[in-house]
Amino acid sequence: MTFFDVVTRSLKRRRLRTSLTLLGIAVGIAAVVALIGLSRGLVSSWTSGMKSRGTDIVVANMRGSLTPKPFPASTRDRIAHLPGVSATCMILVDLMSIENAELMIVSGREWGCFAWDNLKLVSGRMPNDQNERAVVLGTAAADILKKKVGDTVQIETEELAVVGIVNGGAFVENGSLVLSLPLLQQITGNQNQVSAIDVRVTPGTDIQRLCAEIDRLVPEAHADPAGEHIAGSEGYRVINAMSWGTSLLAVLVGVLGVTNTMLMSVFERKQEIAILLALGWRQSRIVRMILWESALLGFFGGIIGVLLGIIGVQLLKHAPALRGMLEPDLRANLVLEAVAIAVFVGVLSGLYPAWRSSRVAPSLALHG
Amino acid sequence: MNSNSSGPKETGSACVFEASGLKKDFDDGQVLALRGVDFKIAEGEFVAIVGPSGSGKTTLLQMLGALDRPSSGTLKYRGQSLFDLPDPAAYRAHEIGFVFQSFHLLPTFTAVENVEIPMFEDHKSRAERTTRAVDLLKSVGLEQRVNHFPAKLSGGERQRVAIARSLANFPSVLLADEPTGNLDTESAKHVLDLLTSLHRDRHMTLILVTHDMSIARRAARALQMVDGHIVFDGDPAKLSMHPIV
Repeated sequence: MTFFDVVTRSLKRRRLRTSLTLLGIAVGIAAVVALIGLSRGLVSSWTSGMKSRGTDIVVANMRGSLTPKPFPASTRDRIAHLPGVSATCMILVDLMSIENAELMIVSGREWGCFAWDNLKLVSGRMPNDQNERAVVLGTAAADILKKKVGDTVQIETEELAVVGIVNGGAFVENGSLVLSLPLLQQITGNQNQVSAIDVRVTPGTDIQRLCAEIDRLVPEAHADPAGEHIAGSEGYRVINAMSWGTSLLAVLVGVLGVTNTMLMSVFERKQEIAILLALGWRQSRIVRMILWESALLGFFGGIIGVLLGIIGVQLLKHAPALRGMLEPDLRANLVLEAVAIAVFVGVLSGLYPAWRSSRVAPSLALHG
Repeated sequence: MNSNSSGPKETGSACVFEASGLKKDFDDGQVLALRGVDFKIAEGEFVAIVGPSGSGKTTLLQMLGALDRPSSGTLKYRGQSLFDLPDPAAYRAHEIGFVFQSFHLLPTFTAVENVEIPMFEDHKSRAERTTRAVDLLKSVGLEQRVNHFPAKLSGGERQRVAIARSLANFPSVLLADEPTGNLDTESAKHVLDLLTSLHRDRHMTLILVTHDMSIARRAARALQMVDGHIVFDGDPAKLSMHPIV
């Protein structure tokens, strides 16, 4: 028998109570995994979308919002000639309610620019020119809208022909409706306005330095390496803060659950602790035993929570408001962070019960 | 039956315990459990502490086990104050073994695991702990019950496991609190025979608290307590002149 056996045997003694405590922690950790996974997914999904388009820098005005605010298309003229810029592409992007779908990404792209290159036709064709009243749908968007080539789709008051279904090579691209920039400007009333300028740089260019240079020349927008424009936006920070806030509230409930369980356990086992002291165990070993018990509750609660979180996220990403918008980011570091939080929660919850256990009088061993 | 004695034993053996003016009160002096107790116990003695409920027997045993501190007075173990020990846990782990009335085995551990419990502070390897625990269970006649949980053992078997556990770290003193209090007559006899043989064969100092005169008479010496005082210290055979209850 090892000391670890002593610890686990104590937890197994009250299986129902241990299980309910594990569930309490698990719910908190599931919230961490689901909410943080979704908010990080927002960044990673957009980043992968940028990468699939071959964008190195995004010039956009993201202040206070998740979708960029429009600014004059003429801004591009001040960027395109800069050393290190190999190509630019003006984009107008918006989140819009399309027919029965609550929110979808609608992307109007400058005709002929590199942001069209990653769109691989799955069926149909690309629009013939920027004036054709046509749209191509990403595969996920077509699935959500239940559209195929030859159908029409209504954007605001405009009915457009679905001429192609495309694979954009990234989750966000596949969840988008893509049309020419002038067409979307006209539909949304944003003539001569764009919401982002995608920039490709020549190899060897110092991206950070180029961003600083663009910022100096273009005060109405902000240049960021691709992907960082979302992470740095105020809207994303609010979402992230709310996700953490909600998760930590759930975790706090878990803390209280473990503390309650461990305190009850210490009170119930006062005489047993006194016996261990009478048999020669040091108070430090008793404290370690209680802390290990609570840490194990945290660890296993964390594992269960991660599993519940992953299941929850898979369900959430199919929710009407999120379908095709983002792919949850459930990489190993989030899983490790969640389990580490759970273990920390366990140890934290065990501190007071452990202190109480150290106050048990060994003379109790001779009572009863 | 062991040797007769009268009063504190004066032998050539080393003094294991020496109490002087030992007092213990509870509830801010409302309850006086020990009212100035003096005695010496020599190496290898078998001493029965007898007395009615509330006489201070258990409080005295707590002092001997360094489980509690006195209100005043001194209690020395091999010449060193028991309450100034740098590591009381080490004293409890290595110098003494406890046998309790209610056995106090941990219910979720098998017999062998229960015997291993005190060995965690002895830095033995896992294999060494198990080997020693099995040997101890064999020495108390429980080789067939090694992997049984306490709930599957009789009262007498449980107390024998508890005795094996008390011997885990080779103590020189055994402190037994009413060790037969929860046993039937037959089991009680076996347990007493076992304790007596440990005292005799291993030359262990055995201090046994009881209110049973027949058990006290198996000791070489009896300390009779009434209201926190030692009223008799001597040959248990003479205890009949000093009724316990």
